[in-house]
Amino acid sequence: MNTLSVKVNRSGGGKFQHRKRGNKTKDLNITSLIDILTILLVFMIKNISMDSTQKNAPEGMILPTTVTINDLMESGKAVYLKIYPDRILYGTESIEVGSLQDFLNKSEIRNSLLRLLQMEAKAITSVNSKPCLLIQADKELPCRYITEFIKFSAQASFANIYFSAIHTENKNEVLGL
Amino acid sequence: MAYGPSKNRSRSQNEVREPNLIPIMNLFIVIIPMLMTIMVTVHLAMIEITLPTESAAGGGGGDDAQEQLEDLPKVITLALLPDRFEIMVEGIDDIISIPQLSTGTYDYFTLDENIARLKENNENQGTIDLLPDPTVKFDTLLRSIDICKSNNFPNIKYLTSLTKYYKAK
Repeated sequence: MNTLSVKVNRSGGGKFQHRKRGNKTKDLNITSLIDILTILLVFMIKNISMDSTQKNAPEGMILPTTVTINDLMESGKAVYLKIYPDRILYGTESIEVGSLQDFLNKSEIRNSLLRLLQMEAKAITSVNSKPCLLIQADKELPCRYITEFIKFSAQASFANIYFSAIHTENKNEVLGL
Repeated sequence: MAYGPSKNRSRSQNEVREPNLIPIMNLFIVIIPMLMTIMVTVHLAMIEITLPTESAAGGGGGDDAQEQLEDLPKVITLALLPDRFEIMVEGIDDIISIPQLSTGTYDYFTLDENIARLKENNENQGTIDLLPDPTVKFDTLLRSIDICKSNNFPNIKYLTSLTKYYKAK
């Protein structure tokens, strides 16, 4: 450590230079970093969406792509139903209901889901809102299950059904071109 | 007797004081990861469908009723079958059939053209009845709905029973 300081001091002019008293350590110039972060911050604030329906993309599910967008009806409140090829999840808390085969074959699974939906519909209508069912299903899922769920939700007073998809501006993507 | 200003004081007044950016940095370090976690990268869309309802068949007769019946928009039914699309228009015997381009590849482009033509011929109709085969994939269903909606058929009625498709003779 001492050797290094001697070398540095000698390079100045041959003589030892006395350090000035109170010589300040050099500050890191973070102004450019602040500039970048400010731009990032503005960009993110601009792009952020507070729409709760856009933040619930289900993990591990490949959704179909669509051009058109429908808004949730006025005073409508959505109940989520995520249908994976191997399981069904209910609500925003993703409560596991069972597999698709269980749903089709086991009456207790159907009854418990029906009770859940009915309770939810009742709770929504009690606050003067309209119950809406938002079905998020994997693109490879056969329509048999979708039809079953639509019939099922109609029994539980869900007259407004919505399908979830990934939005695109490119219609050719939907047309498969 | 007044003393002159000290050397240290005059030195500190001449130096340009840099703002303390450390608190701002701390704030940014918290805000930016928070925004990154809640930022929407994939925009989700919602597609609305309507359920079939029992239409009330009203009585009444005469010329006015006949004219009203003629003004009623024709029912258009789009069937999604495992190997083709079929479009049936009420009162027209010919069914438009759009076969698949290859196995598993539907011809969405021709479907789009046909739906657009149907809209030109039935401007007062805003509803298409959709009848998917149980084996058809959800992706095909949603693309078909999207094509109908993008051609000014905002109401998609999801038929849940096959019996509605065939005409009683």
